[in-house]
Amino acid sequence: MEQQIRACLDQKRYREAFDLLLPEYQNRVFRLAFAMLGDPAAAEDTAQDVFVRIWKALAGFRGQSSLSTWIYAITRNTCLTALRSAAAKREISIEEPDVGQAVESSGAISEPGVRAGIDLIRLIAELPERHQQVLRLYYMEERSYEDVARLLDLPMGTVKVSLHRARKQLARAAARSKMETGTT
Amino acid sequence: MACAEFEDRLLEYAVLPEAERRSVDAHVAGCGGCREFLDALASVDRELTAHFSGREVSANFNQAVTARVRRETAHRRPSLVPEVLDFVGWGAIVTLIALFIYWLTPQMAAASGNAIWISASVFLMAGILVALRSFADLKH
Repeated sequence: MEQQIRACLDQKRYREAFDLLLPEYQNRVFRLAFAMLGDPAAAEDTAQDVFVRIWKALAGFRGQSSLSTWIYAITRNTCLTALRSAAAKREISIEEPDVGQAVESSGAISEPGVRAGIDLIRLIAELPERHQQVLRLYYMEERSYEDVARLLDLPMGTVKVSLHRARKQLARAAARSKMETGTT
Repeated sequence: MACAEFEDRLLEYAVLPEAERRSVDAHVAGCGGCREFLDALASVDRELTAHFSGREVSANFNQAVTARVRRETAHRRPSLVPEVLDFVGWGAIVTLIALFIYWLTPQMAAASGNAIWISASVFLMAGILVALRSFADLKH
């Protein structure tokens, strides 16, 4: 597919190239945005911004890197801008539906599919931002260290260490909760 | 609580070499704390996979992006001003060259007809070339 898109770009058929790359990359861009932002609605809006940016920059793509590397770099930059803007407005924790629910539920099960006896989503939101991003992407990308490192443009060692620490923290909390539930 | 010396290995259980996994298994079989930690870890992995995997954009995502791109394209319709300036510039250059030749060799210009007509024809040809090039640019 990348070759087909590149062929269109070489012939300056930008609209056709864009029509090919949009369905090809939309879910991957969305997942990367979701991993970085932690909110599916914000991730979808940001993914739209990413594709508008891609459209504007398509004529300037010179092919020094692979198309996917270029697209993921645009996605990361757009997400960082969104994160900075959200941080500046100090609204991220209020508008984040998962975290909002988690806080309200005060430790109860808040999401279908999250039933470890603890509120995993709330616990994830308490981890350092880098750990959160790595963790979300790890579970979204079928637990592939390589994909996580490539998408977030991080060294493999950083990904492994972040995952190791994040999973340890979650597993300890889950084990503790299970023990407390068992003893009460 | 899992035993400190086994906790890290339990976190890497899925990718442990066979021999090391056997030794971890042997330990876990006799250690309640490690068994609970391993169960908790498996539960976390299972539930977060269920929560995060298979995430996709909404059904109208493609349409929304296409609409936004269309709006962007409409806003960014290229200006004709540079092309008009191009045309005027080339016309002026061609006219000056024609007049200069006329000034240098009035007899030759007179012999071949009216110099004004010659420069006008060249001006027109240059204009057509610039217009064709502009049209090709706009198409892209």
